Amino acid sequence: MRALGRWLGEQHWIAVGSPIVLFIAWEWASATDLLREAFFPRPSTIVIHLRHLAADGTLWDHAAMTLIRIGWAFALAAVLGVGIGLAMGLWRQLREGLDPVFAVIYPIPSILFLPLVSFLVPPGEIALVMTTAVTSFFLIAFTTTHGVRQIDRLVVEAAVHYGARGRRLFATVLLPGALPFIFTGLRLGLGFALIVVVAVEIVSTSRGLGALLWLSWQILKIEDMYATFFVIALLGAVLSYGLAALRTRLLPWVQDVTARSG
Amino acid sequence: MPTRAPKVLVNEVSVTFESHGRSVVALDRISLQAHAGEFLCIVGPSGSGKSTLLRVLAGLLPQSAGDVRIEVDRPGTPLTAMVFQEHALLPWRTVRDNVTFGLENRGVRRAEREARAREMLAMVGLTRFAQHYPHQLSGGMKQRVGIARALANDPEVLLMDEPLAALDAQTRAIMQEELLRIWATLGKTVVYVTHSLEEALLLGDRIVLLTAHPGRVCQVYPVNLGRPRGLEVRGSPVYGALLEKIWSRLREEVVRAMAEDRGGEHA
Repeated sequence: MRALGRWLGEQHWIAVGSPIVLFIAWEWASATDLLREAFFPRPSTIVIHLRHLAADGTLWDHAAMTLIRIGWAFALAAVLGVGIGLAMGLWRQLREGLDPVFAVIYPIPSILFLPLVSFLVPPGEIALVMTTAVTSFFLIAFTTTHGVRQIDRLVVEAAVHYGARGRRLFATVLLPGALPFIFTGLRLGLGFALIVVVAVEIVSTSRGLGALLWLSWQILKIEDMYATFFVIALLGAVLSYGLAALRTRLLPWVQDVTARSG
Repeated sequence: MPTRAPKVLVNEVSVTFESHGRSVVALDRISLQAHAGEFLCIVGPSGSGKSTLLRVLAGLLPQSAGDVRIEVDRPGTPLTAMVFQEHALLPWRTVRDNVTFGLENRGVRRAEREARAREMLAMVGLTRFAQHYPHQLSGGMKQRVGIARALANDPEVLLMDEPLAALDAQTRAIMQEELLRIWATLGKTVVYVTHSLEEALLLGDRIVLLTAHPGRVCQVYPVNLGRPRGLEVRGSPVYGALLEKIWSRLREEVVRAMAEDRGGEHA
């Protein structure tokens, strides 16, 4: 609580206040029928529906499904993305070979990979997870490659001068130098895993938050749709801030651009 | 006075770069010596290859011709350790771990490493900052860490590449006196590159003046100013006369180098 108080004291109250103001405005607009309540139910009504969904276990079931898929997809994307990204950062030939391939594949909307992946592996959970991982993989690989490339050459030269070679140079200089960018890539990748998993769930399965959201919409349970919406948004925020907090903890030497100078 | 035993022998060293299909001669048959325990300053206009020469001495750059010899007094310690102009500390390591970096790479035991780091940090006055990260330090403090990192390796020769150039005037003056104190304590052979003649006169036993395009040894000046030396030396007549003498020669070189640069732009 003291940490929270300190955090709020540092003028982060705008970050907390803005969604509150938004919800009050929404509540008021729906109550006065400025927004049609049938399509834009009041936040207070949505919260009641959210509690019902949580109470009968529906929400947890779907949320757990989505989280498990994100977990696998993110792990897959992170391992491959960091691995291949590091290799591309270190070896020019590999980078020059893969760059054009990645540039062509990367802009393809992730959801389109679902049929492609389904040709390779049997349709089902594995195909779903692999599709979810594609865009995250590219983001993580790109940022990791850039992370290696942006390391100050003078720092590398100094490290070599002081006897760091081969594996030691990698472990003491190249990897830590790339880590801030790797973390940024992981954070973007995790966010995109959530975006894509919801889309994939909408088109290909009956379980998961995406499926719940879409079902609610199709049977016009608008309040449930919004309730699911909230949960997805909250999940995204928690994952993103969680990874940011982890970075601050693991990389204390990174100068945070938002930190006060002193 | 330093003993006359040669410590660093640079013999007819040339460095040629390939740049845009043309070969550029950065160093042209440079020969010089630094005696054991000597503080040798290298001064020259930009383009005279001062830093290139230092990088050759550090083994970071191969020479195209000629040879470099450094006399080994204590086998097992590195030949050279360099203090870089932009400090070039590892941002992800604490001050202490930056200082022990070279020892770690050579497999020195942890206890010994840490004792050495304590000693060096005490010498540069940073004991209280051992657990800080470089970004938490001022420019002058970062450069102290750079000096401690180099000295921790106990090199045969200490190389310094304009280590104080990026600092403000007051910090630089303080660091110059600090350097003199540390050098007097350790008696290391130092090869020090600077663009500041005043700095070279304050610190050096001898000053090697280089010419630009290509870098050649123009002249070597002994600095007969006595030791220990402090900032007050700037008031002495010997200092003034020497400054005037070297500066008039350096000025010719700078003007010539600038004219050539302009000519290069039109070519």
